Amino acid sequence: MKRFFFAMSLFLLILPAPARAQTPMAAVQGSIDRIISVLKEPRYRNPDARELQRAKISEIVREVFDFREMAQRTLARSWRKFTPRQQEEFTDIFHRFLEQTYLDKIQKDYHDQKVVYLEEKKLSSSKAVVKTKVIREDVETPINYRLLKKKGAWRVYDVTIEGVSLVKNYRSQFRKILVRKSPEQLIERLKRRIAEKKKKKEKEEGAS
Amino acid sequence: MRYLLYVFMFFILFPAAPSPAAAESSGPGPAAAAPQAADTRVSGDGTGTILLAENEGQKAPAMDPDEIDEDDEATDIQVADPLAPWNRMMYHFNDKLYFWLIKPVTRGYKTVFPSPVRKGVRNFFRNLTTPIRFVSSLLQGKVRRAGTEFARFVMNSTVGIAGFLDPAKMSGLNPPREDMGQALGSYGMGNGFYIVWPFLGPSTLRDSIGKVGDIFLDPVTYIDPMELSLGVYTYRGLNETSFKLGTYESLKNAAIEPYEALRDAYIQHRKKLVDE
Repeated sequence: MKRFFFAMSLFLLILPAPARAQTPMAAVQGSIDRIISVLKEPRYRNPDARELQRAKISEIVREVFDFREMAQRTLARSWRKFTPRQQEEFTDIFHRFLEQTYLDKIQKDYHDQKVVYLEEKKLSSSKAVVKTKVIREDVETPINYRLLKKKGAWRVYDVTIEGVSLVKNYRSQFRKILVRKSPEQLIERLKRRIAEKKKKKEKEEGAS
Repeated sequence: MRYLLYVFMFFILFPAAPSPAAAESSGPGPAAAAPQAADTRVSGDGTGTILLAENEGQKAPAMDPDEIDEDDEATDIQVADPLAPWNRMMYHFNDKLYFWLIKPVTRGYKTVFPSPVRKGVRNFFRNLTTPIRFVSSLLQGKVRRAGTEFARFVMNSTVGIAGFLDPAKMSGLNPPREDMGQALGSYGMGNGFYIVWPFLGPSTLRDSIGKVGDIFLDPVTYIDPMELSLGVYTYRGLNETSFKLGTYESLKNAAIEPYEALRDAYIQHRKKLVDE
């Protein structure tokens, strides 16, 4: 009987632990480690497998990043000037833009950088910062993730590199654009930028 | 020349007198703790206990920007940009200068000289510019950091063979790099306005004044024929850039409005350095 209780309590301890009751640190670390292992996997070395690798990373990123929150924060007060349909579209386009920019970069520039997880700070019951640094050769880059807890899950809504917040940086750019332009025009502008970058990338790949 | 330096030092030191100004330096810090920090700074004349108190006190006003809950748009630091037309022109000038001249030259330099050589050169120049960081630390009342800079200098100049090696870093002596612009910022001086200099890139009124101070404290300034001095400056810049190739490209690539993106990145990054 005693043994049964012991086994039972162990079982109960293990059961609710994963998934939901994650700490911010675990959410960040888990995702980054998984991304790094995908980047290291030899079967993606082949240039033809690049797209597949990218889809895999994108999936992990989508789990831990809250793109709607991010989009809303980059627009700040202007968010309300967007119709619900425009908000939807903007979130989608902005997500695609970030993916295109940063996944390309990660795939191209990953050379065994090491990520050191420094600390986790709770700003409130539903807000936290996870501090990390990326080390390559002797260059250290501090990268901090800001997370928000929604429905029990911690998700990233801002990334700060060397003190520069991604959300704030885009906010300063969108603010400038929205002074004269309409939400529709901003969305168009992002679409154009995506197309432009796609063309540039194809040209680069064609050249190499 | 030396008198100019004294005059300048006086000018730098002068705003230090009404020290409660430091309390205003970073808004969201607990108001009660901030003046305390300023007080310890004034009385801080070097003994161990005061050092400790100073260090503790500093935490309150100089908080890590990432620990303050400042997601709100209202807390965005927006710098005035009255010179925007000039700045944009200079931005485009520097952009072309980078892609057409600096980048290809730096690439060539990088292929000829392997990383250990370039690192040695970087270490040498960093060791040489110790006065900038030493004085900037002292002016902020960061006595311990200034001490660390001094210790680094002694160690790297001797064991590190005139500064080419950095044994001090391996012994854990690796403080954040201070400069005069940060010192002015720590006195509560605001950015003033944004200004883009040709060749030198983004700056603000405050950081430009700071830069003048840095130049006075930089031994390279005192190399005799001015041409040689400028040559050394240029070479140092080239060597430094060889470690940063690709940074500007990434920033520009991720931007939708590159001018605004760079301005904001500069301001945010400098704020972080001042807060440290």
